[in-house]
Amino acid sequence: MSGKMRILTGLVVIAIVAVVSGVWIIRGPGPLDFAGGTKVALADYRAGKPTGVPAKLEKASLVERGEYLAKAADCMVCHTKPGEKDYSGGLGFKLPFGTLYSTNITPDKDTGIGNYSDQDFLNAVQRGKRHDGARLYPAMPYTSYTYMTDEDVLAVKAYLFSLPAVRAKPPENTLSFPFNQRWAMIVWSAVFNPDTRFAPDTSKSPEWNRGAYLAEALAHCGECHTPRNLGFALDNRKKFAGAITAGWRAFNISSDKATGLGSWRDEDLIAYLSLGHAPGHGSASGPMGEAVDHSFSQFAPEDIRSIVAYLRSVPPQPSPDLPATTAPVAPASHKDGVTADARGKKVFASACASCHGWSGESPVSPMATLTGTWAVNDPAATNVAQIVLSGTKRHTPDGALSMPAFGEAYTDDEIAAVANYVTTRFGAKGSRLTAKDVAELREQTAE
Amino acid sequence: MHMATVLTINGETKSFDAPPDMPLLWVLRDVLGMTGTKFGCGIAQCGACTVHVDGKAVRSCVLSVSAVANRAITTIEAVGNTPSGAKVQKAWLDAEVVQCGYCQSGQIMAAAALLAATPNPDDSDIDAAMAGNICRCGTYVRIREAIKHAANGQS
Repeated sequence: MSGKMRILTGLVVIAIVAVVSGVWIIRGPGPLDFAGGTKVALADYRAGKPTGVPAKLEKASLVERGEYLAKAADCMVCHTKPGEKDYSGGLGFKLPFGTLYSTNITPDKDTGIGNYSDQDFLNAVQRGKRHDGARLYPAMPYTSYTYMTDEDVLAVKAYLFSLPAVRAKPPENTLSFPFNQRWAMIVWSAVFNPDTRFAPDTSKSPEWNRGAYLAEALAHCGECHTPRNLGFALDNRKKFAGAITAGWRAFNISSDKATGLGSWRDEDLIAYLSLGHAPGHGSASGPMGEAVDHSFSQFAPEDIRSIVAYLRSVPPQPSPDLPATTAPVAPASHKDGVTADARGKKVFASACASCHGWSGESPVSPMATLTGTWAVNDPAATNVAQIVLSGTKRHTPDGALSMPAFGEAYTDDEIAAVANYVTTRFGAKGSRLTAKDVAELREQTAE
Repeated sequence: MHMATVLTINGETKSFDAPPDMPLLWVLRDVLGMTGTKFGCGIAQCGACTVHVDGKAVRSCVLSVSAVANRAITTIEAVGNTPSGAKVQKAWLDAEVVQCGYCQSGQIMAAAALLAATPNPDDSDIDAAMAGNICRCGTYVRIREAIKHAANGQS
């Protein structure tokens, strides 16, 4: 080999090593690598049945089992535009580089998935590959669904195919270059989609394995609660440390005692997941409210307990921007307590006080209590501003409780002022939102 | 099929059929025929529908009946039986507060709750308690005067 060749070969090797290690570093660990135990193929796991439906549905029809799993995977919220038919798609996801629209997954042959074979459906859900061979954008969480078993994915298909076909063509995506190049997702997928099915961990309990399957493969908690890396894939080095998704803050759900779920009692976690509210921890709203309404509230109680057991095992990841303790109840009189934004106080007095009270403990319902919630203790006030903008409606076994949306009624300036007042009065550290911040939050919210 | 709902309104037990998520205001006006409490905006932003739940002023238009079971509800029809309500109503008449009157049930309920909690309110207390009650006729000056009047017990 000549000297030149040797140098060239050396450079090529260095380049390959750099690319491979770069990919390895960016990709990081998988979602279940933290557990560290011995993984076995599902077929070789004898201790329990982590996949499929809960015991009470074991004997149910394929369609019924698929319905349970479709709800557990929360397909409907993203694949339904509010006011339109279920699963008919068209919901817009506003991204910094354009808008993506969800697809129609009813069995309509022209506009839906009516022509999908079983293999087509598996390819879409587990590999992000469309019927026509084109790649899906990872707004469809196929890097999570890839852990679902073929049997469960096909049960979901059977359920979807049992629904009425709806003729509805979602709008074209409006992504800008280079994000409109679907082929680039082939590379993305090769790097970031493990394309592997769930493998139980024999060092953990059957309950943990069931919880891991539900949380990772179906409920895809990490898609909102795990921060993303440079490649916009989940960074499991910071698993469940919290992130901003669709303009809302998905809080830390790692086992960190101060800023995660470490100090929540089991019954609080169970209540929050199944009812969307836990005393002293506030109410789920925004995307988590939807997840509770359409997904978690439909889970069998033992499945909720499994998820709780699994969440407990996720290593603590502190959120350094959150206070170590949430603020106590504010004084009952408007005169006492920290004086903040005078304009915010005016807005609060006229629009908020009658339901939330001056102390933060609602005279109306514990669900409207602000004290103790992360939303008011977040110095970025993201979710406070969001809920003021878009309101919320909670469904509970006792009926509905709603907060009106104020986005049309108040200016960005007024919403910033009231968010700053609320976080200062009821939280540990007040926010300093500006009208510009509020305008940006408006932009990020999904349709 | 709705389950029978039982509420305690103005000290009386009322039983009726209504879906659990029906707002209290609908129950009061349409089911029980108690029309003294008014519908204004329906989103807790005008105060016309104000009633007391356990003595506190709340907006009945966004409060589902299921949320107020086992709690004491007082409406404009009976607020005159409470000490602060009686004082407020008298002051309202003395000061000729009312113009068109539509918002006044809510104004009186809010003022009565304020005086029960803060017997001698200053202007900022009145602002904080009454800011959510809107009056299209602009009787705010007379409302403020009447609240002070009621607090001082003048006649």
